[in-house]
Amino acid sequence: MSLRRIATIARKEVRHVLRDWQTLAVVLVMPVMMLFLYGYALNADSRDIPVMVELPSPTPEGRIVAEKIDASRLFAVVGTVSSAPDPAELFRRHGIRALFRFPPGFSGDLRRPGGAGIQVLIDGSDPNLGTLIRNAAEPMLLSATLDAIGSGQPRVLDLRTSILYNPDQRSALFFVPGLMAVILLMISALLTSIAIAREKELGTMGQLLVSPLRPIEIILGKLIPYFFLAALDGVLILAAGRAAFGVVIAGNPWVLALGSLVYIFAALGIGLLISTIVRRQQHAMFMALGATMMPGVLLSGFIFPVESMPVALQAVSRALPATYFLEIVRGVILKGIGLRELWAPISVLFLQGLALTAFSVRKFKVKL
Amino acid sequence: MTLFLTVIWKEFRQIRRDKTGLRLMIALPLAQMLVLGYALTTEVKNTSVAVFDRDGGPMSRDLIRVVESNSLFRFRGHAGSEEELRGMLDRGLIKLGMIIPADFSRELERASRPVPYGPPYGTGMDGAGIRIMVDGQDANSAGVARGYLSAVLNQWAAAHLRSRLEAAGISPDRVRPVSVDTKVLFNPLLKSSWYMVPGIAVLLVTMVTALLTGFSIVREKEAGTLEQILVTPIKPIHIVIGKAAPFFLIGVVELIVALSIAQVWFGVPFRGNYAALLAFSSAYMLSSLGIGILTSTLARTQQQALFIIWFFLLFFLLLSGFFMPVENMPGWVRTLTYANPVRWFMQVLREMFLKGSGFAELWREGLAMIAIGVCVLSFAVLKFNRKAG
Repeated sequence: MSLRRIATIARKEVRHVLRDWQTLAVVLVMPVMMLFLYGYALNADSRDIPVMVELPSPTPEGRIVAEKIDASRLFAVVGTVSSAPDPAELFRRHGIRALFRFPPGFSGDLRRPGGAGIQVLIDGSDPNLGTLIRNAAEPMLLSATLDAIGSGQPRVLDLRTSILYNPDQRSALFFVPGLMAVILLMISALLTSIAIAREKELGTMGQLLVSPLRPIEIILGKLIPYFFLAALDGVLILAAGRAAFGVVIAGNPWVLALGSLVYIFAALGIGLLISTIVRRQQHAMFMALGATMMPGVLLSGFIFPVESMPVALQAVSRALPATYFLEIVRGVILKGIGLRELWAPISVLFLQGLALTAFSVRKFKVKL
Repeated sequence: MTLFLTVIWKEFRQIRRDKTGLRLMIALPLAQMLVLGYALTTEVKNTSVAVFDRDGGPMSRDLIRVVESNSLFRFRGHAGSEEELRGMLDRGLIKLGMIIPADFSRELERASRPVPYGPPYGTGMDGAGIRIMVDGQDANSAGVARGYLSAVLNQWAAAHLRSRLEAAGISPDRVRPVSVDTKVLFNPLLKSSWYMVPGIAVLLVTMVTALLTGFSIVREKEAGTLEQILVTPIKPIHIVIGKAAPFFLIGVVELIVALSIAQVWFGVPFRGNYAALLAFSSAYMLSSLGIGILTSTLARTQQQALFIIWFFLLFFLLLSGFFMPVENMPGWVRTLTYANPVRWFMQVLREMFLKGSGFAELWREGLAMIAIGVCVLSFAVLKFNRKAG
């Protein structure tokens, strides 16, 4: 193995990248664009959900409770009706998410044994929002009514919740570090596999192989530029995330660097594996997108919680490098934990990378 | 006209001959639908919990039992100290940690002691404290899990108070002047799949129509056959429409297949009207086919076409409300989404499926899709014409 020859291949590859506007756009523009998209578009914080109130007799108590609903952070009353013969139609026409139905004798019922009954109709079509409303409705109505009749609230339990790692509950803090997993995977697996498949498709790989270069030198030379590109993108995301969304690394940056290196190693291994299987760029692209990016984004816990998936998909998730990297990147940035807690995912990624590269290099040699 | 029909006929033949492509066209979306239907769940299930019980009395044990037996939680056992609990959170073993303080039983007794006058409970002081630590990384899951836990704990507390009051001969109604009865419409079990699967159908239809139209034109460009067709008497506009028409049909077929899977496999009810659905889908496909044609004027190779459409799709999908409600986005981003056809079709399909909405409720969304579609399509055709001419 000669360093000089590896460097030559690497230099050639860098030139390829610099001359191709598409790859450059993917490397430089895409990460920043995705950062803003994910940072702004995926916000789980629902407030002022549009609701309506059905108040057959507008007594003071009823009105006070309705005002309290409107004043709450979660709901905004967009209309009051005196009767709702077809509630579903109200939901369809006005796009409301809940209807609070007070009985005609609400004020009187409050003072009678048995109390008053309030019915809350919830639009369950968005199950997330539906669950949120269902959990919040009862405690809110109870305390609003007790306030309305001037009675104190029973406080049997006092739940003091402390929210760790992301106390302001900003979705950007969750998605921005996670985005590193997606972008690094894209650079390392997608671009690498396309770059190698392109040489195969054009026949230039054959030319390289008959040269004095050894296969391992070709592979290393091709991988090194992408390794640096991926690392560059990692830094780019961290810097942009800090500037735009105030994402600060709580833990040790060197642990994050180590984790990123082993993750890039594993992802390059995937790219290499794909490029040994396919012969054409298009197939490389489909495999990298379909078999790598999609599961990496959807099954790794980047957006959707893995615990809620069926067991079979959870098993798939445990096999993905992105799952382990998310643990590392969120662990260091949000939780501020270090090697003591993260040695396991880091070693898993290292072993995955080792296995993938070893297998691909062997396969590459055989095929020549 | 006959020339125009010839183009369509040629395109159909080409599609039929490409056996691998045909298989990919049908099998891939179906496979995606099946996997995604299960994977894209925003439900919060199996939240792992651990407890550090410093009290250890019968009341705290009873409370823990209630949490333990609740199917929403996975109980991961007891921690011996606060540090241990925090360590479990750090290592990601649990998402929720409960700390029951040493004086819990005493405080609970005080807070729920019935008094015969005034408010019939406690003395208006604080209740018995319980500390809850939440892994707040994912704001969505954290919020829902926290809501579940406080609901479970408060229910337990209400039952406890009620039994204490009853034992003291005080009517418990004085503490609870209202009973709240919640009823969930349209999706009574709050199943995530009922919401996500129609969304996935939108995704598939978009991918198939935009990607395949783009590919099919760019392929002819790459092979040089587009030049040959352009020198024939066929007008460029006819070429474009002839190219797009078969994919319109394929899009419709894909949609029907996706809807059948949604209904038969995932059990999502379709409460709308099929004719209205077809009308809305046609309006939508103006845009998605337009994007495909527009892409073909920008890209020289199929690889470029794929990248460009991927860019488009990523933008459109994230700003469509597919994952999280559009209402939660900041104002200026929400304004951007008005120009996003995927957003409108996503809303239309979901509301048709679950709420049974039709033209009467969705005409604005329909008009928006037609407006966007006409703009995109005419721009694409103009651009194609100019390049061709």
